[in-house]
This record gives sequence, C-alpha cells and structure tokens, in this order.
Amino acid sequence: MITLTGTPVLTTERLTLRAPQPQDAETFIAFYKTDRAKYVGGPKDDRRGWDFFCTEIGHWVMNGFGMFVVTYHNDDTPLGIVGHWYPNTWPEKEVGWVLFDAKHEGKGIAFEAATACIDHAWNTLNWDTIVSYIAHGNDASVALAERLGAVRDDKAEEPGKEAYVYRHPRPAA
Amino acid sequence: MTVTFSAPTLETERLILRAPELSDFDALAAFYASPRSSFVGGPQSRELSWRALALEAGHWVLRGFGRWTLIEKTTNTPVGIVGLWHPEGFPERELGWDLFDGATGKGYATEAAIAARDYAYDTLGWTTLTSLIAIDNEGSRRVAERMGATYDSDFTHERHGPMQLWRHPGLEGRA
Repeated sequence: MITLTGTPVLTTERLTLRAPQPQDAETFIAFYKTDRAKYVGGPKDDRRGWDFFCTEIGHWVMNGFGMFVVTYHNDDTPLGIVGHWYPNTWPEKEVGWVLFDAKHEGKGIAFEAATACIDHAWNTLNWDTIVSYIAHGNDASVALAERLGAVRDDKAEEPGKEAYVYRHPRPAA
Repeated sequence: MTVTFSAPTLETERLILRAPELSDFDALAAFYASPRSSFVGGPQSRELSWRALALEAGHWVLRGFGRWTLIEKTTNTPVGIVGLWHPEGFPERELGWDLFDGATGKGYATEAAIAARDYAYDTLGWTTLTSLIAIDNEGSRRVAERMGATYDSDFTHERHGPMQLWRHPGLEGRA
C-alpha cells in the first residue's frame, strides 16, 4: 500500500483537520458533481472529480502542505475541505474552504477550520502573505472571509481566473 | 515535516524511475507546452501542468501504483514519465509513456516501460496490461510493437479523442 506520510493533524474545539485519504474520494467526487461546486471549479463529472481529488493529495506531496479534510472529533465523516492551496503558478498562497453539503452550513465549521489554517499558515508554515480567492457571486464565502477579518484587495493579481482577492491581515506580533 | 509517499524506485541500464516530485515541474510544463503533448491531452497551461504533476503523485496514493519520472543517469535530468495508470474513465489499467522533447529516438520509452511492466507482473502480480495509444501517434505505437503488444480494440477518450487499446503479452511471452 502506498500512503501519504508526514502530514500534520490540526485540532480545534470541535474539529479535526487531517490530510485527504483515499476513503474521502467518494464524498469529494459527489460534491463536485453538484451545483454547490460552481464557485470552486465545478461542477465536474466523475472523471474530472477523480483527477482533482488526486491533485488534492498530490498537492501535499508537491508543497508539503495542502487542503485538510475536516471532520468532527470521533466521527470521520468528511464535512468539507479547508486549508492551504498553492498551485505553484498562482501569484500568492491561499487559504480556502469548501463545505460538502448545505446541512453543514450555519454552524461555524468553515470559520473554525479556516481560523486554525490561517494560524497554521502564519505560525508554522511561515507564509509572508495569505489571501483567499473567491469567485464572483459566492456571497457566503465573501461573508466568511470578512468574518475572518480579511479585506478585499482589488489591486492584487487574480489567480489566472476572475476572482475577488481577500487579504488576511497579519496579526500583531 | 516532509510529506512523502512510499513509491518504489526502479533502475534500468540508463534510467532511474522515481516518484514524481516538484522538481519535475519545469520539464513537465515544457512538455505540456509543446505540440508533442497533443496525443495526451495537451498543449496546456502551466497551471494545468502543475495540476497534472500533482495528479501523478496523488494517483499513487489512491491506486497504490502510478507513473514514475524517468531520470537520465548521464545527465541527472527528467526525460519523461512512464508507468502504471488507471484514472477514472480508463477501460483497464494501462502502461503509459510520455517522453519529453529531446529524449526520443534513444529507446528510453521501451527501456522504462519494460521495467514498469516487469514490476506490474512480478511485484504487483498482474497478469495483463494494456496501453492506450492515440490513433496517429506512430512513435508510441512502435514502442507497443517492440514490447510485443498487439492491437486489441478501439476506445474513444473524452479528452484525448479516438485511441487504440493495445494489449501486452502476459507473463509468458513478454519481450
């Protein structure tokens, strides 16, 4: 068996953030077939969804960081995928978030997970900047970015596609 | 902490076959920018090439096998990607080979593909293997012929267009 090793696990009050594993593929691919995926590169058919899930895992291998699957403690059901994203051709490194199902919304899950990832980016990954690229029209994601304290930066370069750039302020030392 | 996955490394007379890694990116992006990539879904942008490279690594974790980057021993540079491939939408597990510009005409694809096929049969215990070849990719078809593979059937790939499925000899009769 070929396994990914060396990936961290982040823990918040309610959530566990761990690297994607093969058993998450089904949920990930099912999400990407839905209209909910329209703001994050979807919808994608089974083949493209499978390819993209491989890319999510391979991102960890390429960069040493990547997107985490978010679960509750003691329940490995994937709620969403939140974390660090940087195809090496993008202008800046991103913290991004996706909840797989509408039933997980409104509970602060994405906020709680993204807060941990922003902290991890500053303090462990030692990033110089953090942005979130948000597709036009994704109002829920804009609201979350603002709740996280990010500010829209219209002078920042887009990531090769049309998107708002929300910049996360570096916390005072 | 270094993130790794435990892909095996193979060695042939002139090549090292190792897991894909970030340092392969420029070579892979150059390949995907060239017309030669038209047989395998290219040409495509650097960002899509990066995603393709990450996909190569993720394929290993999801399937337990994958493709290797070929390192030319004399130059220590990546010259291609060869190995075992079974993404969603492929009819069967296949043995694929892509050589980067400047690496053709040296027998590298055949040399690496034989090592990959031996690994599939002798280590993974597989008993059959196919190769999907774009209909007008004569260079790739010659590699299949040299390895003793024969035409099996037609297959239309959603992205790569009309292809031929070639079947390799089994445990007995391999080149």
